[in-house]
Amino acid sequence: MPKAARILLALVVLAAAVLLPRVAGPFWLGLVTQMYVFGLLALSVDLLLGHAGLFSLCHASFFAVSAYTTAILQVRHAVPTALAAPAGILAGTILGLVFGLAVRTRGVYFILITIAFGYVVWGVAHRWSSFTGGDNGVTNVPFPALGTLRVESPTEYYYLVLAVLVLCTIGYRVLVASPFGLTLRGIKASETRMRSLGYHSDLHLYVAFVVSAALASLAGVLYVYYNRFVNPVAASFPISVEVALMAIVGGTGTIVGPFIGSGIILGLRNWVSSFFELYASVMGLVFIVVVLWAPDGVVGLVVRLWVRAVKAGTR
Amino acid sequence: MALSAIEVGDLTKDFGGLRAVDRVSLRVAAGERRVLIGPNGAGKTTLFHCITGTLRTSAGRVSLFGRDVTHLPEHRRTALGMGRTFQTSNVFMDLSLLENLVLAIIGTDRRKWVMHRSVGTFEAVRAKAREGLELVALAHRANDAAKFLSYGERRQLELALALNSDPRVLFLDEPCAGLSPSERHSISRMIGELPRDITVLMIEHDMDVALRLADRVTVLHRGRAILEGTPTEVQTNPEVREVYFGHV
Ligand SMILES: Nc1ncnc2c1ncn2[C@@H]1O[C@H](COP(=O)(O)OP(=O)(O)OP(=O)(O)O)[C@@H](O)[C@H]1O
Ligand SMILES: [Mg+2]
Repeated sequence: MPKAARILLALVVLAAAVLLPRVAGPFWLGLVTQMYVFGLLALSVDLLLGHAGLFSLCHASFFAVSAYTTAILQVRHAVPTALAAPAGILAGTILGLVFGLAVRTRGVYFILITIAFGYVVWGVAHRWSSFTGGDNGVTNVPFPALGTLRVESPTEYYYLVLAVLVLCTIGYRVLVASPFGLTLRGIKASETRMRSLGYHSDLHLYVAFVVSAALASLAGVLYVYYNRFVNPVAASFPISVEVALMAIVGGTGTIVGPFIGSGIILGLRNWVSSFFELYASVMGLVFIVVVLWAPDGVVGLVVRLWVRAVKAGTR
Repeated sequence: MALSAIEVGDLTKDFGGLRAVDRVSLRVAAGERRVLIGPNGAGKTTLFHCITGTLRTSAGRVSLFGRDVTHLPEHRRTALGMGRTFQTSNVFMDLSLLENLVLAIIGTDRRKWVMHRSVGTFEAVRAKAREGLELVALAHRANDAAKFLSYGERRQLELALALNSDPRVLFLDEPCAGLSPSERHSISRMIGELPRDITVLMIEHDMDVALRLADRVTVLHRGRAILEGTPTEVQTNPEVREVYFGHV
């Protein structure tokens, strides 16, 4: 697509997002806010999956550790948002510094080790109830406030999330187009070649892992202020799987893909679970269909159809 | 004696029970063109892998311009001046040719860590990448992904990657293998025209190419360096005629 058309499309989407609260009721507004938050989490997963070729299944950990940290500070210690939110991101990022050691392995071992990491965090959230509140989690999280500037309604919070999302997307775009972003794609394409060209590939992957964990932590903070509580579900394995699915269904290695995937999966979940209990099985089917017929996700499919249409048009 | 570019002492590599390289010692002078020959499975590629650090050695030493690099990882050896091509093309298939070259150019400097500026804004790097592509006559395909190249073009890109990492010592693993006579000619001419401040070690099956480019030739057979000499000495050696020419 030509650059002008892309910018125009981005502006149209942004305008629609800004106008949404005028037409959508509280249910839809909540759902879309959630799509943004999980889209951001899926985007963080996709930095590793779509660019560096690493399939992480522990991103719920960073998300949850950050959500818990912010919630506990804000609720139990009355720490203001201006400190509680950065502290959450910091906590998740520090966990990323530790879990990032997984980049010493590749392929199936990497996947297994991240699954194990994820279970450790979930176990702690679940069992260390004196600190985490056990299954009940931490409740009564207030809306965020910055001094006298406070969010007072879901609509205002929606705009806050939208603003953060736009900033993150721009930053992410710069990152993946940078020399560092290129090195990740180089490692994905041929790690042996990268090493022989002078790259310490493990170190590049480690840095990418930590950046990705930081972004996941940011999503965790947005989540806890949206949800107003956090419990061990946030740290659970299904969340890690689901956000990876979002990236794959939407299209890995793209920026809009994870958000489209988040929209599709959360939308389907809401719709299907209203009349059918086996929602997880439906998700499984969706995944199979995508892998078989649209392996590059929705974005890949659209691009393919577009190219075909353009070719047909020029003939 | 002048400083050797590469010095290998008693280098040995075992794969399980198989000894692929057996106590090989060699010394390559700075600026020299050294060609390695030997029948299939002689251990030539494995020897390259061990010198450049792609594989760990089982025993022995490697030094680069007098510096012991035996225990350095591959990327550190590259930073110190080693560059290589692979026997089977190892290029970045999903990336454009320009991106391939950019990765080669920034591999040994700090720009590879820049995160806040797009690659497109590094004018000097892009210009150098274009030059690098022009040298191997691929500039017209700069924006195509490497996977769309023909086999021969991929070999040229492979060579361009090695050259653009600014090596002081270049390891070429059968750069002409599988090419048409004209492609073969253009690649061997390109290698012949490399400046003498680059030391070249090359594995080559084609005797004509090997003998024309080489200052000295080392013959490998069953993991051992059985002979070293000038092209004429090697060509007329009866043992070599038996193990090598007898094979072809
Ligand atoms: N990764 C490996 N694992 C096990 N054995 C290996 C490995 N790589 C090479 N070998 C064996 O080591 C021996 C030397 O192989 P090498 O590739 O170095 O030979 P070569 O001289 O480069 O041959 P060619 O001319 O066919 O390229 C062969 O017997 C080969 O099968
Ligand atoms: Mg070989």
